[in-house]
Amino acid sequence: MENRIEQKMKLLKEKGEKAFITYMTAGLPNMAGSKELVKAQEQAGTDVVELGIPFSDPVADGPVIQNASYKSIQLGTNLKKVFEMMRELRAEGVQIPIVFMMYYNTALHFGLDYFVEECIASGVDGLIIPDLPLEEQGEIKEALKKEGAPILIELVSPVSAGRVPGILNGARGFVYCVSGMGVTGQSGNFHRELLHYLSEVKKVSEIPVMMGFGIEQAKDVAPMRDVIDGAIVGSHFIRLLEANDYKPKAAQEYCSTFKKELNEL
Amino acid sequence: MKKNDKRYFGEFGGQFVSESLMNTLEELDQAYEEAIHDEDFLKEYDYYMKQYVGRENPLYFAENLSREYGTKIYLKREDLNHTGAHKINNVIGQILLAKRMGKKKVIAETGAGQHGVATATGAALFGMECTVFMGEEDMKRQELNVFRMKMLGAEVEYVSSGSRTLKDATNEAIRTWAKTAEDTFYVIGSALGPYPYPKMVKEFQSVISRESRQQILKAEGRLPDVVMACVGGGSNSIGMFADFIEEPSVKLIGVEAAGLGIETGKHASAMALGKPGTLHGMRSYLLQDEDGNIQIAHSISAGLDYPGVGPEHAYLKDSGRAEYVSITDKEAMDALLELCRLEGIIPAIESAHAIAYAKKQAKKMREDEIMIVCLSGRGDKDVHTVADYIKGGIPG
Repeated sequence: MENRIEQKMKLLKEKGEKAFITYMTAGLPNMAGSKELVKAQEQAGTDVVELGIPFSDPVADGPVIQNASYKSIQLGTNLKKVFEMMRELRAEGVQIPIVFMMYYNTALHFGLDYFVEECIASGVDGLIIPDLPLEEQGEIKEALKKEGAPILIELVSPVSAGRVPGILNGARGFVYCVSGMGVTGQSGNFHRELLHYLSEVKKVSEIPVMMGFGIEQAKDVAPMRDVIDGAIVGSHFIRLLEANDYKPKAAQEYCSTFKKELNEL
Repeated sequence: MKKNDKRYFGEFGGQFVSESLMNTLEELDQAYEEAIHDEDFLKEYDYYMKQYVGRENPLYFAENLSREYGTKIYLKREDLNHTGAHKINNVIGQILLAKRMGKKKVIAETGAGQHGVATATGAALFGMECTVFMGEEDMKRQELNVFRMKMLGAEVEYVSSGSRTLKDATNEAIRTWAKTAEDTFYVIGSALGPYPYPKMVKEFQSVISRESRQQILKAEGRLPDVVMACVGGGSNSIGMFADFIEEPSVKLIGVEAAGLGIETGKHASAMALGKPGTLHGMRSYLLQDEDGNIQIAHSISAGLDYPGVGPEHAYLKDSGRAEYVSITDKEAMDALLELCRLEGIIPAIESAHAIAYAKKQAKKMREDEIMIVCLSGRGDKDVHTVADYIKGGIPG
């Protein structure tokens, strides 16, 4: 079976649409509630969901996602429970591409072979590992050679410059362009040469270019609309869920509005 | 597995950081390699070591301790350095490098506050802006050092996330660094973090063993049989080991904190019970729970209260070159008080862990054998903790 992310990217290209991608911490408000939120988003037209696997030391995250991770760990969320949830979602017919956003230690702890087998068996389509730069990816890429394994999504930053071609070499799915320096959730503070940097990536990338970090509304990415293929919303979405008691309806409304506005830019 | 990669010690080390820091690390690596091959840089470093830090410090033959423990014990007196511990050796090196790279600001993490004080000191000396990240829990334990840092002109940032200790202060320093790397230099205090930090910290701390080696050859005409130091992240120990690693006749021993006892789960012995994993930019032994989350370390000494260990130590353990042991809070406190009475030296609680194991190790040694123990810091900062401990009796 073709990877769900790649399928989705192809479909979006055919339709001439931009991708809307969200991040949510797995296990909030609880495992069952998380499942409902994924389903609501699929219905709302979200293209890809990033599921955050909570970790004790999320160094790439700002306070919003740090707190969400902390809460989720307190509630007992762990990798095994998230795999279980994935199995249930797929068994219940949910087809939205799902990417695990996680720290490397969590995968290492369970053993990379076991981890990848579980990803395949439970229907995980991609991985984003912010503390695993290109130079350290050899080991996991070896483990990801298995049939049906998730795609390792590559990240680039505004200061990646000369590193970009190397990072994109062999990259699949989409490339995640971090909009600013630092951590998730620093809104409105886009790096000064953002547009220039995104166009440089777009020029050399054979896969769709997504922008993330600090986005709240579709209009935030209006100045970049010609150089990006989609937008990723994390911290703002978490705040919105918290403010609305994790009601699937709130997620659905936000996502369908964002998706609609994104394509009207 | 990664034998030909300079960033690794065996399978440990590496650069597990976000993409946005990779160019920063590359720039740092280049600047560092140039600096340590530049005579002028080394001369400047030596100048400050001598005139400002007060090196070389003595390798003191502890006669009373030797008599009591039954073998020849020499103490490397890092406690006599300016600011009271070995931390300043590394800080001066890194700040000189920061200056050379044109950085105007430095940031640092601190647990006990010794590295924070040393960084604030270096920043004051070289006119740089300084921010120190410290866990709220540690700020309570080490109030005096917080005040010292402020007196020296540093900003002290409360860290109230996670366990509110060194681990979380380090997370926050890394986050800030990722945002501000363009004009800010991150001064890491222990022999850990992403490459080239473990290598750089070792280089600047290796002055400890370089001096010790010459001093012992002068005093005894031969190399020591045992060299010992306490291990938190592992900076004084890697400095104490450095010039002896290639001498197979010298036994190297690192002493971790067993806290209330390894069996209680309340300890900081990453080597004894940790499992390889990734944290703070490196792959090394880490204390982890069954879900792969990093566990909270425990030690009466804030400086050893870290759930991991520097990657070169992990390699020295696995290769069998060094031995790692652990000492409980109680054993360390007993040794601290014993050193006070026998030698008139108040050691830091961290260093007292090494003294405590020296007592055990001495039992396996002959009277004419020689042991060097790194007395990494002085105990003035710990007087409150010791007082509380004596008042409260000995738990466990």
